[in-house]
Amino acid sequence: MRSATVLRNICALVALVLVSSLHIAQAEPYFAVREGLKCASCHFNPAGGGMRNAFGNGWAQSALPARRIEGTGTDAWTGVLNSFVALGGNLRANATYTDVPDAAATSEFELEEMRAYLAISAVPDRLAVYIDQRIAPGGSQNLEAFARYTTKDQRWNVQAGQFYLPYGWRLEDDDAYIRQVTGINFATPDRGVQVGYESAQWSAQLAVSNGTASGPEPDQGKQVSLRAEHIQNVWRFGAGFNNNHTDAGDRQMQGVFAGVRTGPIAWLAEADYLTDETLGPVERKQWVGLIEANWLVGKGQNLKLTAEVFEPDTDVDEDEQNRYSLVWEYVPFQFMQLRVGARIYDGIPQNDLQNRKIYFAQVNGFF
Amino acid sequence: MPRTTSLGESMRKAKLLALCTSCALAACAGDGSGLDENGRPEGESSGTLQPNFQSIQDNVFTPVCTGCHAGAAAPLGLRLDEGASYALLVNAPSVEVPSLQRVQPSNPDASYLIQKLEGTAAVGARMPLNQPALPAETIAVIRQWITDGASNNTGTGAGGSGKSRFELVELTAVSPARDEIVPGPVRDVVVASNVELDATLLQSSVIELRASGGDGTFDSGNERAVPVDATVRSDRPSVLAITPRLAPLSADSYELRISGTDPVAMADLQARPIDGDGDGAPGGDFVLRFTVEMTQ
Repeated sequence: MRSATVLRNICALVALVLVSSLHIAQAEPYFAVREGLKCASCHFNPAGGGMRNAFGNGWAQSALPARRIEGTGTDAWTGVLNSFVALGGNLRANATYTDVPDAAATSEFELEEMRAYLAISAVPDRLAVYIDQRIAPGGSQNLEAFARYTTKDQRWNVQAGQFYLPYGWRLEDDDAYIRQVTGINFATPDRGVQVGYESAQWSAQLAVSNGTASGPEPDQGKQVSLRAEHIQNVWRFGAGFNNNHTDAGDRQMQGVFAGVRTGPIAWLAEADYLTDETLGPVERKQWVGLIEANWLVGKGQNLKLTAEVFEPDTDVDEDEQNRYSLVWEYVPFQFMQLRVGARIYDGIPQNDLQNRKIYFAQVNGFF
Repeated sequence: MPRTTSLGESMRKAKLLALCTSCALAACAGDGSGLDENGRPEGESSGTLQPNFQSIQDNVFTPVCTGCHAGAAAPLGLRLDEGASYALLVNAPSVEVPSLQRVQPSNPDASYLIQKLEGTAAVGARMPLNQPALPAETIAVIRQWITDGASNNTGTGAGGSGKSRFELVELTAVSPARDEIVPGPVRDVVVASNVELDATLLQSSVIELRASGGDGTFDSGNERAVPVDATVRSDRPSVLAITPRLAPLSADSYELRISGTDPVAMADLQARPIDGDGDGAPGGDFVLRFTVEMTQ
């Protein structure tokens, strides 16, 4: 009797994965590239990140892990408590070894973050409020809090409040140059309004925000951020634009990003060109680029190899920086990911921090 | 679903994978010739970290810390954005360990900022949170600034020292900002002036803090006075911390009024009253209104 119930739940999950295409998904963009799905297939957020929807949770239990383990109960977690309320969460704990030239190496255990997500859909699929709250370590910090209205055909949506800005690939790694240098990452949500468009092959967001990364607005200038992506089963291509107008000067960036699946390898690439009037007396022009290969070694196992480049000032020679990462990601069973990796920074020799090496192991629990 | 591969095929693809990704961004790192440690051309001094507040603000606080420590919801009320950081650091008690000041001039070892950067603080995680620790050289420069007295050389805004004989005495709300909604409880209100104030005047009743009584207005008759203590956190320029005497401020709207008019006006050492109302002439009360909201 019990096994029949479990089997029925598993079948329901698999069916959910197979038939659902109403939402967008993306905790790591390579998942979406590998599966030929949009970011919103798995996440509440149209551009990815944050809470997973029922499809995302179902996929995380059936397709993602190496195997599935069973608990004492028979129910399977979907995150959806009822038609109106959905919950989720993430916990990342790290062991990190950092080797900086000419300095004593350091090693530490750390709780990187514990985040909780809550979505309340007062009108299911149409009207919702959403909260992404970082609750540890340290004090509680709100990352996202917005209200969203979606049209009946699910194509258009408008949200207002505090949210992550749309631009480029929304990688989990905030230290990637395309996240750190652009300044659009999980640490820099902003307050404003966003309009989104979703169709079978297009996903686009346009946001107008304060441009202060949730800080106080000291001037009249605003930030405009645009992300548009065309999705096919095997490949996708997108472009981004961002302009932040402040009294201290303008900061503008534009870039392209793409993904393609070649057999077991999901490729991601992004290149951005930035002009920044706020870094000094003259405008500074910068480049950042990323190529990432995600090799599906076996069920539940991914080998990620990333090469990045950062050109801090096109008018200055020999200041370029590179960053290389090799990360093995293993999902032994549902809702648990283990990551072991190394990140090698390669910069100018007179700056030790630009030549550090980081080795890490991470436990990522999510639901 | 994507397919998996055999071992031999996998090895070949692994080599190809490594080759492709390594070479795709074939740009090598710069050799640094002609550059300083910040990657800027030698002689361009603005980017080099110096043991003074402006340099530390530009090279550490703004680029590294303000990702989190900015705005009304800055962790533990510590804003490190330019204009607020000095007033909230120097001689300001730490929230996590109130017996320690965030920056105690001339005493880096007792400064909580240094303990947080070096990872020796008794409470909480090492800063910057979830990022590599600052280089030892950078922390050494911050230590040197504190050892030298933690003075402010920004010359503008809150904490600015660009004093001229004829300039007005102006006050700036540092934390909370004007009309700001801040998470409670609020332990102190920080106001800075552009010149040194006459601290002896703080003994009189030039500072008044009122709670609205819950209706958000200050003319309905249900306001209540909040007894406060005022302390000077730094002299040049003056940073005033107005602290509720009984308990931190809880949810309500508040009005802080610093008198700039007779009979007793807040003034600088030359007895020039503050330009509290910002009309370009000495005199007028400085009024700061803000709202405290409890998050839980």
